[in-house]
Amino acid sequence: MYTKDEIFKAVSTVNDPEVGFNLVEMGLIYDASCNEANEAIVTMTLSTRACPLHQMILQWVEEAVLRELPQMQKVTIDLVWEPIWNVTMASDEVKKKLGGL
Amino acid sequence: MAVSTNFAPPFKLIVPYFILGIFALVVSSFLLFGIDVENLQHLDVSTLALAHIFLLGFVMMIIFGAMAQLVPVVLEVGHFAVDLYYIIYPLLFIGTAMMGFGFYAHPTLLAFGGVVVLIAFSIFLFETFMTILKVKRYNFTIVSVIVSTVMLLIGIIFGLVMALGYSGIIDIDATHYLHAHIFFVLYGYVGVSVMGMSLVLLSMFWLSHGYSLKHIKRALWLIILACGTVLLELFVSLPFLLTLAYGLLLLALSSYLMQAYLLYKTRARLEKDIYLYSILMAYASLALSLLFGVASIIVANEQLILSGMWIWLFGYITFMITGHLYKIVPFLVWYQKFSPFIGKKKVPMLADMVPKRAAFMQFIFMACGVLLGSVAIMLQHNILFDAAVSFFVFGALFMLKNLLYMIRFEG
Repeated sequence: MYTKDEIFKAVSTVNDPEVGFNLVEMGLIYDASCNEANEAIVTMTLSTRACPLHQMILQWVEEAVLRELPQMQKVTIDLVWEPIWNVTMASDEVKKKLGGL
Repeated sequence: MAVSTNFAPPFKLIVPYFILGIFALVVSSFLLFGIDVENLQHLDVSTLALAHIFLLGFVMMIIFGAMAQLVPVVLEVGHFAVDLYYIIYPLLFIGTAMMGFGFYAHPTLLAFGGVVVLIAFSIFLFETFMTILKVKRYNFTIVSVIVSTVMLLIGIIFGLVMALGYSGIIDIDATHYLHAHIFFVLYGYVGVSVMGMSLVLLSMFWLSHGYSLKHIKRALWLIILACGTVLLELFVSLPFLLTLAYGLLLLALSSYLMQAYLLYKTRARLEKDIYLYSILMAYASLALSLLFGVASIIVANEQLILSGMWIWLFGYITFMITGHLYKIVPFLVWYQKFSPFIGKKKVPMLADMVPKRAAFMQFIFMACGVLLGSVAIMLQHNILFDAAVSFFVFGALFMLKNLLYMIRFEG
């Protein structure tokens, strides 16, 4: 069974090619959990509903978790739109680089 | 759940729209040398040819290509029949070329070219309407797509009537329909499409959040009202209705400008790149053209109207398009060439695919061309205008070079 931090670390290998930051530091990953059967649920959002990489990003997250955590059996992505993402959810490093700090 | 990537059209389908579009921009920029700014108010054949090559070959071609890519993203459904886009661009290109030659040399070609363009537009309209029928959840952008599509349908009917009149096939006064044609196609279709799409694209690329949509909704209603007023004028022939329509249009565009400012104010990304410069230039041009429009109503000066139109087309619309190409084309190329390697090897960022120095050159040359051109039109100074066009031509050539660079990017 993997911890939330381990799953977050795995997802952090996925970068948004437009802004150049990983999804975790962007604040797009809201939650993650794993049961005893090594089946994970990743709750996440996207910066916009109109994201053209929508489906592909979900696929990258799933692949990253399976790749980085070898015992993982299954990953389910729970894509949510509430709360709506905004830049305050990003890490200070991201905000600084985007120019928000 | 909104899923857009599954419906994304193939790279090879979209790219011809952008290459042909920028090619038409280059041709249009050279044709600008043939414009006589001392007599610009008498729409001669070379001005009409240029206007159609620019608007159909460049503006419409790029908008159609962008729509092929963006409709699934915005509408959150797949195209009804995306393969129809393989037919649209050759027809639009051939029809535009025939219309260009028609204006210059053979008026009969005009009607045939007009029909070919009409077929291209009809296929586009059919595909778009059928795709809209699949939509389950409506938002402002989807409504704007519906409105602009209806506007285009009405506008091309007027255009066809005019083409038949010019070529002598039917006996009508073609100029009677000019304002209706311009309003419905230029402001109703191009204007509303740019408004709707920019709302999605600007908020996506700038990461703008928490803004109100009241200004853009008001702008859409005002444009519909302006087009309706022009339509009414066509039947009742009361000249003040045209002035009213232009007044409504100015209010609509001002309201849209306020919306753009809101998006700018609420953006999270503050980096200064060619996209930001191009969009700022586009909106500065829109603001300037609005000022010229208001001034022309107050002092009744035709040069102000012409100069305002020049800035609207070659400043606002052109920079809006070129700026977005620096975002859309790298995305398409990246998606095609590099996305399969995610997690397997290092892939470039989208920003790495933009030729920064050459993009800046394109920006500077075009911006100089637009600003100098507006002064030349105001002063009715042909030599100054040729100097402005020289700048613009270099800008257009840089844009073509940059587009090809991004398409060929291999990492």
